[in-house]
Amino acid sequence: METVTLTIDGQSVTVPKGKSVLEAIHASGGHVPYYCYHPGLQVDGSCRVCIVKIEKMPKLQTSCSTACADGMVVTTNSPEVEAARASVFEFLLVNHPLDCPVCDKGGECPLQDYAYSYGPERSRMEFPRRVFDGEGVKADVDFGPTLMLNRNRCIMCTRCERFMKEVDGDAQIGVFQRGVHSEIATFEEKGVVSLLSGNLMDVCPVGAITTRDYRFKSRPWDNPMAVDTICTGCEKGCNTTAWIKAKPEWAKGARLVRLTPRFNEDINQYWMCDIGRFDYHWVESDRRLLQPHVRSSRGSDATPWDEALVAVKAAVDAAGASHARVLVSGHASLEELYVLKQFAGLTGGVTFSWRHRPKPQPANTQFPIPAVDAPNLRGAKDLGFKLGATDSATDVSGLRAAVDTGAVKLLYVIDPGPDGSVGDTEWILAAKQSGKIATLIVQGVLKSALTEAADIVLPGCAFVEKDVTFTNATGHVQPASRVITPPGDAAEDWQILSKVAVAFGATVAQTTAAAVRQAIASECGSTPGYSALADLAFSRPVSARQYMQASNPMERGKWDTMFQDLPPIKFGDDFGPLPRADVIPLKPV
Amino acid sequence: MSFHPLMDYGKGMHQSQRALADEGPAFVFTAENLATLEDICSRYPAERRKSAVIAALYLAQRQQGYISRNAMKAVAAAIRISTAEVEDVVSFYTMFYQRPVGKNIIQVCRTLSCALNGAERLTDELQKVLGISTGETTADGAFSLFEVECLGACDRAPVVGVNDDWHECQRPEDAQKLVDGLRTKGAASLTGCHLHKEHS
Repeated sequence: METVTLTIDGQSVTVPKGKSVLEAIHASGGHVPYYCYHPGLQVDGSCRVCIVKIEKMPKLQTSCSTACADGMVVTTNSPEVEAARASVFEFLLVNHPLDCPVCDKGGECPLQDYAYSYGPERSRMEFPRRVFDGEGVKADVDFGPTLMLNRNRCIMCTRCERFMKEVDGDAQIGVFQRGVHSEIATFEEKGVVSLLSGNLMDVCPVGAITTRDYRFKSRPWDNPMAVDTICTGCEKGCNTTAWIKAKPEWAKGARLVRLTPRFNEDINQYWMCDIGRFDYHWVESDRRLLQPHVRSSRGSDATPWDEALVAVKAAVDAAGASHARVLVSGHASLEELYVLKQFAGLTGGVTFSWRHRPKPQPANTQFPIPAVDAPNLRGAKDLGFKLGATDSATDVSGLRAAVDTGAVKLLYVIDPGPDGSVGDTEWILAAKQSGKIATLIVQGVLKSALTEAADIVLPGCAFVEKDVTFTNATGHVQPASRVITPPGDAAEDWQILSKVAVAFGATVAQTTAAAVRQAIASECGSTPGYSALADLAFSRPVSARQYMQASNPMERGKWDTMFQDLPPIKFGDDFGPLPRADVIPLKPV
Repeated sequence: MSFHPLMDYGKGMHQSQRALADEGPAFVFTAENLATLEDICSRYPAERRKSAVIAALYLAQRQQGYISRNAMKAVAAAIRISTAEVEDVVSFYTMFYQRPVGKNIIQVCRTLSCALNGAERLTDELQKVLGISTGETTADGAFSLFEVECLGACDRAPVVGVNDDWHECQRPEDAQKLVDGLRTKGAASLTGCHLHKEHS
C-alpha cells in the first residue's frame, strides 16, 4: 500500500495515500471536532470546524477535505487555529436555540460538547434568533412517519441530505432557500418516508432530527448501560447497541429503550433499518408469554415448568415420537438448532418456515434490506438441516401434505421471534381446528392465535434476553448478547429444547450454553467463523463512561478524547467526588 | 407505509410552516420545449443528466411564467432526479419564481456597490411608485418588484434588472420614469445602459 508521511502536532504520522488530514489526525490519536464529516458519507466541507493549520498553505484548511501529502506539517492546536475554530463556533451558535435542557440530543450532542470544549465562552450576538416554524415546542414539526424535525436547531451540515442521496438512494431531503434562510425540508413537506429514516437521527449532530420512538423517552444519563448485540430482524444481522434505562418506570416499564447501529464494515457499516430499530416493543409488551400453559378439560392453565414438561412427555408418548413433526422458525439460534438436531432424528422430521417479505426500497439503495426475515437460515444449513426446495422462499408443502393425510399427530412449533416470524400459520390453525393435528405444542415468546390454539405452550426468550449466536446470510457467526432478563418464567430456548429432548428419548450431553457452542465449534469448525464459537465472549452491559464507545464509532473519537480534559460533570460517581467549583471558571464580567 | 403499529403518524404533531410553492395547474412540457430539453440533456454525459436542471427550469418558467410544484414534478421526471433536488435549485436562485409574477419583473440589486450608491432609496421609491412592497405584484399584474443580490454590473451601480435586461445607474428620482416607460413602451423603453451625464 502506498503511504504518505506527514507531521501532525510535531508527531510523524504515516497513513495510506488518499486519507484525509482529519482521518490521519484521528488515526494518530489526536482530535479535531467535526460535524459535516461522516465516515460513511462523502466529504462536504461545509461546517468548517475541523480547520487546521497546514504549513505553506496560505489559509487554514478544513482537514476533512484536504488529502494527506508527504511532508505536510499540520497543527491542530495553535492559537491561530483555536481562535478561528472559536469563531466558527460562534457563527454556528448564532441562531442555535439554547434549549439543551429540553432537547432530545442534550447530553449526547456533538454541538453541545464541542461548543463547550472549543467554542467561545460567550456569544456577542444580541439580536433575536432566526425562527423557522415557531418558538419552543412549535418548532418540532412532522418529518414523516418516524421522525420529527426542528429547523431552528439545524446547523446545515447536510449529513441528512447526503445520507438520503448516497445511502438511501432516494434524495427526499433538500436544502431549500439560501444563506441564513437555508432549511432542511422535503418536497411539499411530505416528510421522509424510507426504511432507513432512523439513521437520520444518528447522523444529525444536533437535535434537529429526532425519532418519534425515542423522543422524550429518555436522556443519555438515564441509560447508564448499553450492550453490544445484533439485530435478528432479517438475514442481514446488523450489529447494534441496545440501550437500557436505569429507571424503567419512567419509560412505561420498558428497560430496553433504544437500539442504535454499531459499526461493522462487512455487514451494516454505520447503518440499520427502521424495522430493526423501531420494532422492538414486542419484547417488553403485555403480549409476552410468562408461564408454561397446559390445556386440560378446564381450559389452558398456567402450570409450573416441571408439570408442563411432564405433559410434553405424555403428549409425545401418546402420539408416538415418529408421528411428531417439528416446525422451526428461522429465528432459532445456533444453540437451539444444535440441541434440536440431537433429537431431530427421533421425530417425524424438522421443517423450517419463515417470512419472506420484500422491502420497498429505491432501486439504487446502498443499504438493501433482505427479504428473508430470518436471522439464522445459513446457520441451520451449516448445522446440516434441510431448509426446503429454495433458500429464499419458505416451503412447508411437505409438512402440509403430511398433515393433510393425518400422518402428523403432534406438531411442535418453535418460534422465538416476533409476530409472523414463522410465516403463515393459518393452515396450522385450520388443521388443529379440524383435528388433523391432535396435539399442538408451541414454544414461543408472544401470545398469538397459535398459542391460543395450542395444547401446551412453552415460553421462550426474545433475542435480547439470551446469549445466543446466529449465522447471517453472508456467513458471519455473531453473538446476540443478553441485554435484559426474560419476563416471568420464560426460559432460554435451548434449555427448553434440551428438556423436550428427554421426552423424545434423547439425552443432551451439554449442560451449559457454552458447552453447546463448544460442541458446535468442534462439529462445524471447518466452516469459517464457527471455530470462534468455542470461546465466544458476549457483550455485557457497559457503564456510561464507555457507552458511546460501545456505540456509533462516528462518536467514538469524541468520547475517547472529549472528556479527558473536562471535569467529570456528566457521569458522577465514576470519577470520584465532583470538583464542582472548577466546572466553569467564573470570571468577572 | 407503516412499519410500526405503535406510532400514530402525524396525529397531534405540529406541521411545518414553510411556505410552499404554488401547486399550479397540471404541467406538461410542450413538445417543442421537450425537444429543446432533450437537446440540452444530450450535451451532458448520460449519467450527468441532472446537469440540465437549470435549463429545464428556465424552459418551464418560460412556458408557464413561474415554476409551480407541478412544474417541479415535471422537471424532476424529465431530468430523472427527485423533486426535492429540483425544489432545492428553484428555491436557491432568485431568477426562479415559485408563484405567479407580473409581466415585468423589476429586480433591484442590494449588494455592496449598489447599496452604497443608494439602492435602498431606489427600492423605496419604486415601492412608492408601484404601490407595492418588495416581493409583491401589482394588482393589474404588470409589475413585480424584488430585491436581489449582485447582478454583476457593479461599475454601473445601482443597477436594476428588468426582465432579462440590465437598467443601470438608476437614481431614486428615475423610478417614475422607469415605470412609466415600461407601462407605455414596454421593453422598447430600455435603451441599454442608462448613464447620466455626471457619471460618464
